[in-house]
Amino acid sequence: MEVKLDKQYPLDVDATRAWALLTDLKAVASCMPGAEITEQLSDTSYKGAVKVKVGPAVAQFGGTVDVLESVTAQRKMVLRGKGADKGGSSASMDLTAIITADPANAAHCVLNGQAAVIVNGKFAQFGGRMMVQVSDMLLAQFVENFRQTALTLPTADGASSTQTTSHVSAPVVAREINGLAIFWALVKSWFGGLFNKRA
Amino acid sequence: MNAPVQTVEARELALAGMGASRLRKEDARFIQGKGNYVDDIKMPGMLHMDIVRSPIAHGRIVKINKEAALAIPGVHAVLTADDLKPLKLHWMPTLAGDVAAVLADEKVHFQMQEVAIVIADDRYIAADAVEAVEVEYEELPVVMDPYAALLPGAPVIRDDLAGKTEGAHGKRDHHNHIFTWDAGDKSAADAAFAKAEVTVSQHMYYPRVHPCPLETCGCVASFDPVKGDLTTFITSQAPHIVRTVVSMLSGIPESKVRIVSPDIGGGFGNKVPIYPGYVCAIVSSIVLGRPVKWVEDRIENISSTGFARDYHMDGELAATADGKITGLRVNVVADHGAFDACADPTKFPAGMFHIVSGSYDIPAAHASVKGVYTNKAPGGVAYRCSFRVTEAVYLIERMVDVLAQKLGMDKAEIRAKNFVKKDQFPYKSAFGFEFDSGDYQTALDKVLKAVDYKGLRAEQKAKRADPNSPTLMGIGLVTFTEVVGAGPSKICDILGVGMFDSCEIRIHPTGSAIARMGTITQGQGHQTTYAQIIATELGIPSEVIQVEEGDTSTAPYGLGTYGSRSTPVAGAAIAMAARKIHAKARKIAAHMLEVSENDLDWEVDRFKVKGDDSKFKTMADVAWQAYHQPPDGMEPGLEAVHYYDPPNFTFPFGIYLCVVDIDRATGETKVRRFYALDDCGTRINPMIIEGQIHGGLTEGFAVAMGQQMPFDAQGNLLGNTLMDYFLPTFVETPHWETDHTVTPSPHHPLGAKGVAESPHVGSIPTFTSAVVDAFSHLGVTHLDMPHNAFRTWKALREHGAAL
Repeated sequence: MEVKLDKQYPLDVDATRAWALLTDLKAVASCMPGAEITEQLSDTSYKGAVKVKVGPAVAQFGGTVDVLESVTAQRKMVLRGKGADKGGSSASMDLTAIITADPANAAHCVLNGQAAVIVNGKFAQFGGRMMVQVSDMLLAQFVENFRQTALTLPTADGASSTQTTSHVSAPVVAREINGLAIFWALVKSWFGGLFNKRA
Repeated sequence: MNAPVQTVEARELALAGMGASRLRKEDARFIQGKGNYVDDIKMPGMLHMDIVRSPIAHGRIVKINKEAALAIPGVHAVLTADDLKPLKLHWMPTLAGDVAAVLADEKVHFQMQEVAIVIADDRYIAADAVEAVEVEYEELPVVMDPYAALLPGAPVIRDDLAGKTEGAHGKRDHHNHIFTWDAGDKSAADAAFAKAEVTVSQHMYYPRVHPCPLETCGCVASFDPVKGDLTTFITSQAPHIVRTVVSMLSGIPESKVRIVSPDIGGGFGNKVPIYPGYVCAIVSSIVLGRPVKWVEDRIENISSTGFARDYHMDGELAATADGKITGLRVNVVADHGAFDACADPTKFPAGMFHIVSGSYDIPAAHASVKGVYTNKAPGGVAYRCSFRVTEAVYLIERMVDVLAQKLGMDKAEIRAKNFVKKDQFPYKSAFGFEFDSGDYQTALDKVLKAVDYKGLRAEQKAKRADPNSPTLMGIGLVTFTEVVGAGPSKICDILGVGMFDSCEIRIHPTGSAIARMGTITQGQGHQTTYAQIIATELGIPSEVIQVEEGDTSTAPYGLGTYGSRSTPVAGAAIAMAARKIHAKARKIAAHMLEVSENDLDWEVDRFKVKGDDSKFKTMADVAWQAYHQPPDGMEPGLEAVHYYDPPNFTFPFGIYLCVVDIDRATGETKVRRFYALDDCGTRINPMIIEGQIHGGLTEGFAVAMGQQMPFDAQGNLLGNTLMDYFLPTFVETPHWETDHTVTPSPHHPLGAKGVAESPHVGSIPTFTSAVVDAFSHLGVTHLDMPHNAFRTWKALREHGAAL
C-alpha cells in the first residue's frame, strides 16, 4: 500500500545548519528512531538498517538508501530508500526534502518533506490502517532528533548556540522504534485530538 | 422372528425415514468435542510442514538461502521448486485445464504464493525456520485490475505461457487472457435488442470473497517406504478425485493410494481444489519416509486458497413497454487470479453461469464470459453454490429490478409477468437448460401474502413522505432458480471423470445395514439423511443404518460433495442401490411365503401376501434368509452397488423477501424481516433443510453486508484475518423465517432437488434488492456489495438522504 506524506516542520535552527545536517546522511539516519547507516557503498549510495521492536518481536529491515539529487543552491535533497525484512515485509520510499529559510527570522527555517512510501507484505496487511498515524509519530520523533542534532552543529560564525560543544551529541529521544511507545503516543494524540475538537 | 402387530403409521414412525425430522447423528460427537478432524490426527514419527510465502504480488526470485533455516535444530528439510523439478512436481495441473506452480518457479505471481517448504519436528520449529529462509526478490509491476490486465502493454503475469495462443477453452488473444466463453444465441439476442421498446443496462461488480470455512485446509500424508503405499488424511470435498490426481502425479498405482476425508469442518467449495500444500506434504512424506502434517492457519487460508466470485458484470435487458422481457445480454470479465484454478466441470469454464436467464421465459439470450489473469491468488470455487450460479442469479435478479424501476412497475408484478409458467415445464431455456419442474407463481403468492406485501409498500410510501423519518425502508424481492446436481456425464466431467455418484449398501444377516457413498459430508448431515432414504426404501429403521463416506479404500468411487450434488446425485444412487436390494428381497420373500412375486405387496417394512395381512416377511426376515438359506440358484447375501449418472440437472427454486431499515445518520442496515420460501422438491429431513437454509442465509448475509477481499494497488490483501473478514455471529445475524412448497423433480428417483445452496444464492441479491429499493425513489438503480455501514453512509450522502 502506498502512503503519501507532505509535511512542513518549522525549526528553531538556521537554514545553513539544517542543510549541513541534511547532507550528512549518516547523521540524518541516526535521527530516525531505530535507523542507522551500516555501510557506505559509494558517494551517493548507502546500506542501512531499521530495527522495530513491538513487544518481544523484533523486525529488522535491511536495505539501501540512494541520493538521487542533492542541490545545495535550493537546499534540496532527493532520496530513495528500499528495504525488506526477513519476515516478509518490504518498503520503499521516495523522499524529497527541502530546507527553506524563514524570511522573518534568520535563526529559523522550515523542513519540507514530501514522501511516497510503499509498503508490502505483512506490514501492509496488518499495519495498513495505522500507517499514516505511525508515520506521523515517527516523523515527529525524527524531526525532534533532527532539530536537536542540528542545534549542536557549529553556526556559520563557528560558535555552537547550545552549551554543548561536541560535534554531535546524543539526542534525548528514543533511538529505537518501540511498538509500545508508538501505541502510547497514538493513544495520547487521539485523546488530544478529541480534547482539541471539544475545546 | 415377527414383531408384534403394529399399525402402519406406527411402523412408519419407527423407521424414521424420509420426511422425518430426525436428529442429526453427527452432532453427538461434535458437541462433545469428539470429532475427528485432520488436525486431530497424530501418527508415530510425524513431522510438520510449514510454508514460506511471497510477501509481494509479482516478482522474480533472485535467490533463496536455506542455510540459516537448515541450521535450526529439528529442521529436516527445506524444499523449493528446484528440489521438486527432478520429480516434475514443481507445477501441477488445475481442475480448469491450466497449470499452477506447486512452489514458485523463478517468479511469484501473487502475494502469499508458496515459495518454499520447511519440514521440522514440530509446528513451532517449522514456523521459526520459515522466518529464517531468506528469499530475495526483484519486484515486477503488479496488475490487480482485470481490465488493466487486458491492455496491450500490460505486464505479463504468466511467463510460462509465452507464445501459447490456445488455452484449455479455446483461443487466447492476449498474454493475460485465459478464455472467452459464449453461451446462447448472439444474433437472436441482438435482434431482440434491435427491435426492443425498452432496454436497460447495468454494470455491477460481484466482489472477490472467500468461503472461509471454520476448519482451514490441511492434510497428513503418510508414505510407507516398505509397502510402497500412501495414505493421506485430507480436508477434501472430493477424496476420490484427489486419489486419481495423486496417483497420476506421483506414479503410485491408484490401488496403493488411500485418501481419507475424515470429519470436515465446513467446505463451501474451498475444499474442492488440490492445493500446493497437499502436494508438498505428500512429496515430503515420500522423500523422508515419515508422516508429514500440514495444516494452514487462517491467514494462509483466506489469502491463498480458493476464493469465489470476482465477476465484473454488464447486464442488459430488452423488453416491451408493458414489461415482458424479450432479450438478455450479459458480458462478464472474470478475474481468475494468477492460475486458472476454477473448480468447474471441465467443459464449463464459467460453470453453470448460463442459468442467468433465471426463472423467466426469455426468448433470446446471450452471455459471454472472459477469464483474465491478475496478480491475485487462484481459485474461483463454488462458494456454497453450484458453479457460478450465485453470480448468474445475482445478475438477472438485479436486472429485473432495474427494468421494473425504469418501467415504474412493481418488482413482484414484473416477475409474475415473466415467469416460466407451471404448464411450460419441462422448460427449455434460451441457453439450452431443460428446467425439470417448477411452480413459481404459487410460491410467490404465498410469500407476498405471508408478509403482507401491500401493507409493506404502503408503509414505505408513508415513510418516504416523511422528511424526518430516521430510516429509509427498502423491500427486496428475489424469485430465483438454481441449477444443481452436476451432472450428466455426457456433458459434465472433472479431469475426464464423469460426474456420476455412487452408493453401496450391505444388509447384514440380522437386518441392520451399512451404506457407503462417494460423497463426503462437511456439515450437511449425510449420516442422518442418507440413512433415512434407505429406511424408507428398504423398511429398515434408520437407527440401525450406518453411513460411511470419505475413505477411498472402502467407499465406491464418487465425485464428492459440492454444488448441492449430494442429494440430486448420490441421493439418487442410494435409492437405486436400495431398489436393487428390494428387487432381490422380493424374490426371497416370495420364496419364503411360497407365493409368486406378483402376489406380494410392499408395505412400509414388509412384503405381505395380497389380501392377507397375517402372511408377511419383514426386511429383517428376508436378510436372515438371504445369508442363511437363499432360494435355489440365487447367490447368497443382500447387497448392491449403484453408480448414478443423472439424466439432467435439478432446478430448485425459491422466493425470498427482505425488509431493511437503513439508518440515515449512520448508514447501518437493519434487516427487519427476511422471509425465505424454498422449493427443493421432495424433502428428506425438514429439520436439516431448515438448518441448511439458516446457514446459507447467514452466509449470504455475510457476503452481501460485509465480506470482501480488499487489495491495494501493490497487491497486498488488506483483510485476511477474522479481525477484518466478516463472519457473522449471533450478534449480527437477523432472524430468519422459512417456508416451503414441494414441486418434485420428475427425473429424480426420489423427486428431490437439493437445497443447501439455494439460501446463499437466493439471499445475496435479495439483500442488494432491499438496500437499493430503499434508495430507489432517489433514482438509484444499483449499489455494489458489500452493503456495510460506511459504504451505505457514503451512498446516503451522495444522494442527499443522509441525516
